[in-house]
Amino acid sequence: MSQRMSPKRVSLMMLMRRSLLHRRTRSLAALLSLTVSAAVATTLLTLYASLDQKLHKQFRAFGANIVITAPNGIALPPNTLAIVRNTAGPDSHVIPFAYVVAQTKNGAPIVVAGTDFAAIRTVDSWWQVSHWPDATTVQTSTTDEGIVPSLVGTRAQAFVSGDHFPLTYNGHALSLLATGTVHTGGPEDSRVYIPLDQFTAWTGLGATTLEVQAPGNAIQVQGVLDHLHLAIPNVEVHAVRQLVESEGRVVSRTHALMLSSLVLIALTVAICVLATLTASVLERRRDFAIMKALGSTQHQVSLLFLLEAVLLALAGAAGGYLLGSLFAFLIGEWNFSTAIAPLWQIAPQVLLLNLLVAIVAAGVPMRILRAVEPATLLRGE
Amino acid sequence: MFFRLLVESFVRQRRRKLLAGLAILLGTTAVTAMLAIGTSVGDKINHELSSAYGANIVVYPKADLLDVEIGGVSIHPGTAGSYIQEADLTKLKGIFWRNNITDISPELPLDVTLANAGQSKTIPAVGMWFHHTMHYGAGSSAESYTMGAPGMHPWWKLQGAWPADNSPVDHSLDQAIAGSTLAAQQHLSPGDTVMIHNIPVRITGIVSSGDATDHLLLLPLGLAQQIVGHPGAVRRVYVSALTKPEDALARRNPDTLPPALRDRWYCSPYANSIAFQIQEVLPYTHAEQIRRVAQGEGTILQRISGLMWLVALAALLAAAFAVAASMTTAILERKQEIGLMRALGATRASVANLFFAETAILALISGTLGYLLGSLLANSVGQQVFSSAIPFNPVLLPAALGLAVVVSLAGSVPSVFRTMRLDPAAVLREDA
Repeated sequence: MSQRMSPKRVSLMMLMRRSLLHRRTRSLAALLSLTVSAAVATTLLTLYASLDQKLHKQFRAFGANIVITAPNGIALPPNTLAIVRNTAGPDSHVIPFAYVVAQTKNGAPIVVAGTDFAAIRTVDSWWQVSHWPDATTVQTSTTDEGIVPSLVGTRAQAFVSGDHFPLTYNGHALSLLATGTVHTGGPEDSRVYIPLDQFTAWTGLGATTLEVQAPGNAIQVQGVLDHLHLAIPNVEVHAVRQLVESEGRVVSRTHALMLSSLVLIALTVAICVLATLTASVLERRRDFAIMKALGSTQHQVSLLFLLEAVLLALAGAAGGYLLGSLFAFLIGEWNFSTAIAPLWQIAPQVLLLNLLVAIVAAGVPMRILRAVEPATLLRGE
Repeated sequence: MFFRLLVESFVRQRRRKLLAGLAILLGTTAVTAMLAIGTSVGDKINHELSSAYGANIVVYPKADLLDVEIGGVSIHPGTAGSYIQEADLTKLKGIFWRNNITDISPELPLDVTLANAGQSKTIPAVGMWFHHTMHYGAGSSAESYTMGAPGMHPWWKLQGAWPADNSPVDHSLDQAIAGSTLAAQQHLSPGDTVMIHNIPVRITGIVSSGDATDHLLLLPLGLAQQIVGHPGAVRRVYVSALTKPEDALARRNPDTLPPALRDRWYCSPYANSIAFQIQEVLPYTHAEQIRRVAQGEGTILQRISGLMWLVALAALLAAAFAVAASMTTAILERKQEIGLMRALGATRASVANLFFAETAILALISGTLGYLLGSLLANSVGQQVFSSAIPFNPVLLPAALGLAVVVSLAGSVPSVFRTMRLDPAAVLREDA
């Protein structure tokens, strides 16, 4: 106490604490604006940083983006599936397909495909299947006198009779059990699907087509393509052009849209915050005049005002970063059903932006006030 | 008196009004622009997707034989079975959602015998429209559209020229294009003339598709029908339509819905309801969505428009906070004015009325300007990103104005009442 009464120089910290606490409403209003600006910047930057990855992930809803076929429709070399799985990496999915034209009981031709149901289930989300042949049906039916579980296309259903039906290929008969139907609106509806192993046991043929779903953007997909070209040189490997080209276009449009929104919102908020802070500094021209009249130098006063602004900006940036990260996380959950983790890399950018706004907001009125004589200010407006 | 005070306040405190007005203006600009983008981004992305992925609905004859097709190539395409009549396809432009149908592409798969350089070989082929002109309606309401496979498959790359759709009347050569793999195997190049079932046909181009079409010969539909011997016959029709993502209602069976819901189902541009309407005008056919394309498009559309709505919401919140904060500051600056009025005997109600009227007028003026500016901004963003304008949306004007007024008032109410609760003498002395 006694120290404070002494004619020693008033410490800067004390002045600042006083100034911030004394006009609490105004300090809070300034803090609020700076928090909001930091929160908005954090949300948008976080979203923007993970946008492409999230969008490309959504585009996997269209299924496989690379198709591998043997030239002239012959079967692929038997180890191709293993090589492709290895080359494409753990994040890719590979579905093998093999086709033959078999005969129904009435002699009508029907396409039978051998495939991997588990892989289709993960990749081809548009397959509307009434009941997948799961592990238990596969188990029981294979032990039961070699009956093969199958998915029957909705159009093919009328051509096979009932749930248990026979098919013949090259004189080899096969008893099938329809565990469910598949409906896609595509050629799948006219086919019968059975597990690849049983298909090979029946027909003696291996997979003729591999569909690969590679993750990531066009460059990453191209990388997988290049690796596959090297690993399996004698087969046709190509991207599904319908998917890869359009995907890039839609993603880049969304990217551009997001960028313009980001700039627009950030600019608006920054200018609003600037207006608020500038007004609140200008309002204190009397404080400014009194301090100068009592002998403070221009530098001391400027320093005080600047430090105040910086302190508010720091607090606002910290709170805003947390709030903004939370908001980005929630948007990820709601819209993409996957969390968008907070990005520490953008924290410095947010802080810098906030500091810039605060310093400009304090600096502009200081320049205006510098030219004014304290006496003029104190005497009246 | 009230009005004079109001007018004088605007005339004398121009700087303050400008600052507060600027905040509201920017807030409404951002909100209007983001809402305009949010409301139209669905349409834009939908157009983008539908022109990029091609057909999302397929139509085929109901009592058809089973397609025996592997990897997009029909094996032994039969000449038996039933067909769709090509002439009936104009009816597709007569359905309720006709304006949502962007392209129609009929196909007739067949096997042809190709004689080239002394060798004869059977190859798979498809008859299709290339740039077919379709007329709908008669008299003054007659409309014509250009439909066909090139628009349906934007990823096809053509070297050469698309063939003419109709057999030339002057008995010059019929035209066709070959898939790239077929062309390589048969040594075909643009300008060659081959014999197909003893009809001389000029190859006008080589098409590369990256899929099964590379193995096919693509003929004009009329020529294919002539070879098969079924004039006017079409085996299947691909339709590209602008649709709304599937929701719970879209998946319902229309026959089991109560009348009101059924009308809503029928009048929503779901892929299912458009397919249903196609079946109504083309008897003995079955139309359905191609789920791979329709479902994928739906997912993408929902995600992107959902994202833009959430960003618009963030803009709304941020603008609201910024505007409210600037209004709070603007009122706090005028503490003394309130003190003086109260000291001169103005009632609390009259002071509050004056301040709120000022705020409301300021919000209305700045809000209108902000709406105009925001609409212009959205428009230029649309031009930049999608190369098509985002139109002025008058529905957003009341929304933008309402928001400006409510938020500005919400920002000024607490500070006005806080100041009035203080003793006028204390307020005046504080800064004297």
